[in-house]
Amino acid sequence: MTKIALSFELPANLNAEKFIAKLAKKTPCELVQQHYAQKSFYDSFDWRLYDANLTCEFNQSKDATLLVLKRTSTADIIASTVIDKAPIFAKDLPISPLSDKLLNLLEMRALLPLTTLELQIYKLNIFNEDQKTIARLLIEDYTNFGCRLAIQPIKGYDKAATNLHQLLVKHLSLIVIRKPILLAVLKSQGRKPKDYSSKLNLQLKPTMPANKGIRIIYKTLLNTIKINEQGTIDAIDSEFLHDFRVSIRRTRSGLSQFKAIFSNNINTHYSQYFAWLGSITSLSRDLDVYLLNIDDYKASLPKSMREDLNPLIIFLQTKKIIAQKKLAKKLTSKKYLQTLGQWEDYLKQPPTENTSLTLKQLADTRIWTVYQRILKEGSVITQQTPAQALHDLRKTCKKLRYLMEFFQSLYPTSKIKILIKSLKNLQAVLGDFQDYEVQENALRKFSEEMMHLQSVSTPTFLAMGVLVQKLDEKRCQARHHFAKCFIEFKTPSNQAIFKSLFAMQTRETK
Amino acid sequence: MKVIATYNIKGGVGKTSTTVNLAYLAAKNGYQTLVWDLDPQGASSYYFRVKPKVKGGSKALIAGKRELDGLIKGTDFDYLDLLPADFSFRNLDLVLDARKKPTQRLQKLLKPLADEYDYVFLDCPPNISLLSEAVFEAADILLSPIIPTTLSLRTLEQLKRFIKENKLKNLELISFFSMADQRKKMHKEIIASLGKQHADLLDIVIPYASDIEKMGIKRMPLGAYTQKGRSVEAYQALWQAILQRI
Repeated sequence: MTKIALSFELPANLNAEKFIAKLAKKTPCELVQQHYAQKSFYDSFDWRLYDANLTCEFNQSKDATLLVLKRTSTADIIASTVIDKAPIFAKDLPISPLSDKLLNLLEMRALLPLTTLELQIYKLNIFNEDQKTIARLLIEDYTNFGCRLAIQPIKGYDKAATNLHQLLVKHLSLIVIRKPILLAVLKSQGRKPKDYSSKLNLQLKPTMPANKGIRIIYKTLLNTIKINEQGTIDAIDSEFLHDFRVSIRRTRSGLSQFKAIFSNNINTHYSQYFAWLGSITSLSRDLDVYLLNIDDYKASLPKSMREDLNPLIIFLQTKKIIAQKKLAKKLTSKKYLQTLGQWEDYLKQPPTENTSLTLKQLADTRIWTVYQRILKEGSVITQQTPAQALHDLRKTCKKLRYLMEFFQSLYPTSKIKILIKSLKNLQAVLGDFQDYEVQENALRKFSEEMMHLQSVSTPTFLAMGVLVQKLDEKRCQARHHFAKCFIEFKTPSNQAIFKSLFAMQTRETK
Repeated sequence: MKVIATYNIKGGVGKTSTTVNLAYLAAKNGYQTLVWDLDPQGASSYYFRVKPKVKGGSKALIAGKRELDGLIKGTDFDYLDLLPADFSFRNLDLVLDARKKPTQRLQKLLKPLADEYDYVFLDCPPNISLLSEAVFEAADILLSPIIPTTLSLRTLEQLKRFIKENKLKNLELISFFSMADQRKKMHKEIIASLGKQHADLLDIVIPYASDIEKMGIKRMPLGAYTQKGRSVEAYQALWQAILQRI
């Protein structure tokens, strides 16, 4: 397709009707539709569609309601489907190319409305001597955001689109626009795309005092907790609780790793508080994980057994509703709100601690110490070592991961990225080992609880039994893979990078 | 990508109407759809108002000198494209014959389109020829419309025999009655008797109807100018039946 600009704005002195009358004098065209419509934009909370250069619109008019997925940069329609109301989850959509695309990108994330605009839509076909449409024009006259026009080229008729472009710019004085309307609307609301990401992107200075630097880290984590709080209470989708919990875990990890900076009282007080927050959110998260895994669980069973797991789904959903209610109550409790408020106030106060450590010195020391611990703990693990040793190593790896993520802006990006990646691989195998064991135990516990429910029959227990066996097989595989992953993690080249980034400076500090 | 070839040894059985209307329904359901008009008469191209012209003609096309994607034209309908016919397609057999492995040629040409299209409909000319053999190799489904006459049974049997003899195991034959005139006693009787004898014959009858004939005047698929009626329902039922087989 020819690379010509496809989106235009009408000059202030030209409205849609006048433009159409002018156009009709220049080229054979037909107004095929004109109607009032409402256009709502949707994306996930973490902007997964925007990240993928996609815009999701739900267009409502008298005649039709249509969910449309467009390429943001070019406004090309990628897929669309007729549907009564915008779905909350991609899995709620009837199977179509649109649902496939959305499901791949959004996974478990809900589609949330960003904004709704009112507009008048005009659709024109430009045709040739056979009355064949060779290009289309879409005019969108927004109530508060001007009048926009888009050429919709037709495959194989590139020349027609180019000619139309020339006509619009040279003879009808239209202005080419490059930014989608969504950006203009968000700007008017004081928002911008990608204003939330679950990833830490801290820009810290190596020479800043350590106590000042860690306050920035804690404040960022607190902000993420607060941003995800309402979505967690409302259970919009499972990622709100997930991100909420990750920030809690990171804060707890910080409080244990940076003990030397804040006073003992402060460390103990808030460590206990965030441990409590972790514990009150864990059941709800565990149930989310089981429910998110259900399709995988089913796929691991023989086809004839898959539907037998349905009573387990109902059991988990019921449990989740009860757990969610309790969680919502706790997240609106005085204990939660008051202590979180106190933590916020504490972080706002100017640092009073007497420390000469720079942030880089703190980062070097902590990362090097925890890295050494991983090497020590991992080296003694054999096939015969009790599972607890792998669980302890998993926790130590998590501490190192958080430290490297907090402080990554202090080190050369290319080097720290290599280390984080190799750590991720090790964490994945340790995480699998732990998760399969936890899931096996949970399924055993659930089956005991379900024994008391008359509605659950033998085939369900049988299916759960097979599932436990499958999880056990996977757990054994993960254990088997550990040795290989650990060797890959402690390769001489990785050790050299760790040493060059963190060890020398640590010795100097000492 | 699934390739559906509309084919019958006999001409004038409603192949093009079937191709155009089913492709329209597939596209309407949101599937990226392509119609390849292989018939030099260019009837599918006519229905979509696209000029029956391919740059370089059949020789360049079969030689793969031009990628198919560059020859495709968008129709007036969303998600529905057309690879137009060309008068030189009357020599497609000769052009194919001059190539190595001629029966695998269409399949090879279609391969690069696999990511772009969900369904490709091949509108084939009648007769059993080298082109038909290449179509059979490329297609997943051979959709064969049959007029309810005694001769139809013969051509259907010929086709089945051909598929069996050539060991086209991956090709699924789906046949159905087309251009059935409910006023004709013979049509009614044959539909009743043939339906019982042939399990692979779909229980769907496309009527001989004036609204389908109007496609030639309107130059668009049936569903684009009428939303109701027996013909519309019959094509919808046929599309659903094919989807179930896929």
